[in-house]
Amino acid sequence: MPPVGNEYAAEQLKNQGNKHFKDGEYEQAEALYGQAIQKNSKNPLLFTNRANARLKLEKWESVIDDCIRSIELMKDNMKAFFYLAQAQLSINHPNEALSSALMAYELCTSSPQQTSNAATISALVLKCKKAKWDIRERERIRRRADLLCDLEAILETQWKKEQDEIEAKIESGEIGRVEGQEEKAERRTEWEKKQSDLRSAFFLSDPQNLEKREVPDYLVDGITFEIMHDPVVTKNGRSYERATLIEHLKRNPTDPLTREPLTIKELRPNIALKEACTEFMEKNEGWVYECEDGEIDENPRWAHLSSW
Amino acid sequence: MFASKRLGKELTKLHEKLPPGIALVKADDFKEWLMDIQVMDENPIYKGEIYRLKFMFSQSYPIEAPEVVFVQSSDPPRPIPFHPHIYSNGIICLDLLDRQGWSPVHNVESVCVSLQSMLTSNTVKERPQGDENFVRYNKQRPRDINFVFHDEKV
Repeated sequence: MPPVGNEYAAEQLKNQGNKHFKDGEYEQAEALYGQAIQKNSKNPLLFTNRANARLKLEKWESVIDDCIRSIELMKDNMKAFFYLAQAQLSINHPNEALSSALMAYELCTSSPQQTSNAATISALVLKCKKAKWDIRERERIRRRADLLCDLEAILETQWKKEQDEIEAKIESGEIGRVEGQEEKAERRTEWEKKQSDLRSAFFLSDPQNLEKREVPDYLVDGITFEIMHDPVVTKNGRSYERATLIEHLKRNPTDPLTREPLTIKELRPNIALKEACTEFMEKNEGWVYECEDGEIDENPRWAHLSSW
Repeated sequence: MFASKRLGKELTKLHEKLPPGIALVKADDFKEWLMDIQVMDENPIYKGEIYRLKFMFSQSYPIEAPEVVFVQSSDPPRPIPFHPHIYSNGIICLDLLDRQGWSPVHNVESVCVSLQSMLTSNTVKERPQGDENFVRYNKQRPRDINFVFHDEKV
């Protein structure tokens, strides 16, 4: 154990660091946490605080180092796993990020005083899942595209060979020039037909993935342009996401489309549509769920943790 | 709020497809966009000219209306169109852009289309009444001005 005086000094430095962190001065905060660690390298919280500052400074590798050292000092370290997951996600290691995020989530839900972070962490878990899914999907599409490419190349080579053969026959006088040209044109049409058949075969076998994926309009809220979670229907039969429509009605109690008077009380849940949205989400989990960068940092629920 | 998500989706759609006479000029962030519009018919007041619109979004867009004004530039030439509801400083008096007239189902594209048709249907090459005074003395931002909509026809 470090001498008592050092522990005190480290605590003072940490508090100063926290102050700078709150003011958004992450470099100063990082330096002060560093000094605190020199005074007392046995306090896991100093490492997580520095990791958080480094997260803001986007020093991903150092974040990972700090988190690992913090976890070595304290195993059930939700914060360290949470920061670790973010850094791993940023350096494009979604598998590691996901297991770190799941660890943080488990620690969070198993400890009673930290459950308020569950939503934030589960958002990160979903973000990691999405990143994993994206990589898998990109790879799959690339493989398919490669196969299609190879097959197209074979068809093209074959067509060119035929052209050369006909050309040779013309040269040797075996067939007439006009006849030869006609034959060439015919082969060309044939080749083009094969090529388009091949493409449509690929397309039909996997229509979802060659096309740009889109949520059908009837599942999309006309205000946020997002798929709905809790749709409500208005008097004219249009449905909107409850939260956003209420936001509008608070300012202007009229139907967004018809301008007729409309109050919050008149809204009815659209249960069938809600089920359709849920089903669609389940089938297309990977790409429907879009988690914005920075969302986690903006969450006020998380703010109190930056200065433990 | 959801402004950046919604604007991101609008931007994707704008990149895919735009109605004739509407072009996206600049959308580097989710605060301010520039759009060019032109009138597609033979209306002699606007023929051959292109106008530039500046959209400014708050965090609460689309619950809150965007602020939309015409902006002038010499290179490329972008004048302020003549219209009894468009002041020579570019401020537009249109119920759609007013706090009461706005609806969150509108979007950048639909505002452009509305302004296009507002120009198309106009027949008088005039500025609003009191244009000179308004332009000289107005210090308010467009969204804070309470326009009185005296004629509903234009």
